[in-house]
Amino acid sequence: MSWKKILGLIGLAIYGLWALGPYYLTVITSFKKLTDVFSIPPKIIPYVDFTPTLEAYERVFTTRAIWTFVTSLIVASAGTIIAIVVGLLAAYGFSRFPKAPMNDERSFFILLTLRMLPPFAVVLPIVTYWVFLGLIDTYLALIWTYAIFSVPLAVWLIKGFVDEIPKSIEDAAMADGYGFGARLRKIVIPLLGAGLAATVALTWLFLWNEFLFALKVAGGKVVTYTAYLPQLRLGQRTLWNVYGAMGTLGSIPPLLILIIFRRYIIRLYLGGR
Amino acid sequence: MTRMPSSSKSSRLPIFLQLPATIVIWSLVGYVLPWLIFTLFHRYPLGRSAEFVGLGNIIMMFQDKRLYGAVLRTIYYAGLGTLIEVLLGMAVALALVNLIKNEKIRFAVLMLFLLPMCLSEAVASIIWIMLATPEGYLNCFLRALGIKPIPWLSTRWSLTTLMIADIWQWTPLPLLLIYAARTSIPAEAYEVAELDRLSPWTTFRVVTWPYIKYAVVVAALFRLILMYITIDKFIMITYGGPGHASEVIGFYVFLQSFGYRNIGYAATLSFATLIVAAIITYFFWSMFRRM
Repeated sequence: MSWKKILGLIGLAIYGLWALGPYYLTVITSFKKLTDVFSIPPKIIPYVDFTPTLEAYERVFTTRAIWTFVTSLIVASAGTIIAIVVGLLAAYGFSRFPKAPMNDERSFFILLTLRMLPPFAVVLPIVTYWVFLGLIDTYLALIWTYAIFSVPLAVWLIKGFVDEIPKSIEDAAMADGYGFGARLRKIVIPLLGAGLAATVALTWLFLWNEFLFALKVAGGKVVTYTAYLPQLRLGQRTLWNVYGAMGTLGSIPPLLILIIFRRYIIRLYLGGR
Repeated sequence: MTRMPSSSKSSRLPIFLQLPATIVIWSLVGYVLPWLIFTLFHRYPLGRSAEFVGLGNIIMMFQDKRLYGAVLRTIYYAGLGTLIEVLLGMAVALALVNLIKNEKIRFAVLMLFLLPMCLSEAVASIIWIMLATPEGYLNCFLRALGIKPIPWLSTRWSLTTLMIADIWQWTPLPLLLIYAARTSIPAEAYEVAELDRLSPWTTFRVVTWPYIKYAVVVAALFRLILMYITIDKFIMITYGGPGHASEVIGFYVFLQSFGYRNIGYAATLSFATLIVAAIITYFFWSMFRRM
């Protein structure tokens, strides 16, 4: 091994420490007693520097904090289902009928532009809209808002996967008298398979992670775990270990998705944010 | 037999395919855009009805010194942040491919490096609050090493701390894009470069760069847009403070909307920032399509 290579590997190790260190500190904080959190020198190795305790998790599981995860699960799942159903139809159209009206490249571009617009610039009118309808701070409002913002991403990703299915397969099925519904159910969706599953996972992940709309469209009666996090700071003293526990629990779904869909992650993030 | 009706049906099929998505989207966007355009010509004094002010809000925007400050901070935050994220991501991606030859190990390392990007902005924020708070982990480490602690969330540092947090979370994106582009280069290209005894720099310039340059440009534009439009960390970590020290454009619009409730002026700022974002996005897409 040349010295250049050793230097490079040391560089990668330092980057690894930088990328994973903060997350590691958060996870161990969740297992600390409040008095152990910030000590000098820092306590960083469980069982050596400090005795792990489930105090923080007990607090999360016995207060309304745990219900905020359930809320996140509900709104993210419902938003994903709507986005995927309408997105699949639209993506099929964009892929198969690029010359038809509403299916051409311009319409596709307009749809994708929605994804890149600043949420901070539309959150006020959206809040006004739901207040106007008398639905502010309800599941319906947050789910519907989430669905709308997920459609462009779902369409973009699914279109890429549909493009890969040879049109000849569908033509053959059409010759056998398969209608559109049967082709979609029996040919397109099965062939999309893992790609569709990965799209579902990524769409869901972005909604699970969403913060600004969760805070402003809901956040009073309907509280997702991300919208709950700022409330943790309002108390007399910050419960750092509860903070750590909330962060750790919130990071479990993303980690699972990263592990399960690792083969797709490169493709998905090319399309995602 | 059923040939004729099915073909006439299929000519309408494309429009039916787009209807659900179009209805879902325009049920909200159809309100948002007209509302913004109506509201930006009005003022909403507390407890009274809308007052027409013509171009008043737009003139106010061009005279708003606080907005200019926010623009400068956005340029610093998004510009420098993007530059560092892309350069660091490129360095790590190329180092990974050059130094770790075993593909399984390399892929596992890549996955570990991607972790921060998968977390919620809100979770990343609490991680960085724990690190950056005056008695937090960063200062614990500094004190343990005998170095004077740094006031990470002070007027002088807060914007930079937010930028560091964003670099931590989002360097994985350029890293991933450039990694994907780098692994698509055929190994023969490097064998030829070695036979020709090209210097490492020349090899990078002649062999690597042509393959990865689009990934680099796309990653840079992507990060630039997203650093401009994402304000979650600002809301969670500093709330624009202390004072106006970490007030960027997005957060300023948020504050006018929900803090001061200057509804007319907030709509004006929203509309202006939407147009800027649309222009950048258009530029981005025309670039992306050329790939």
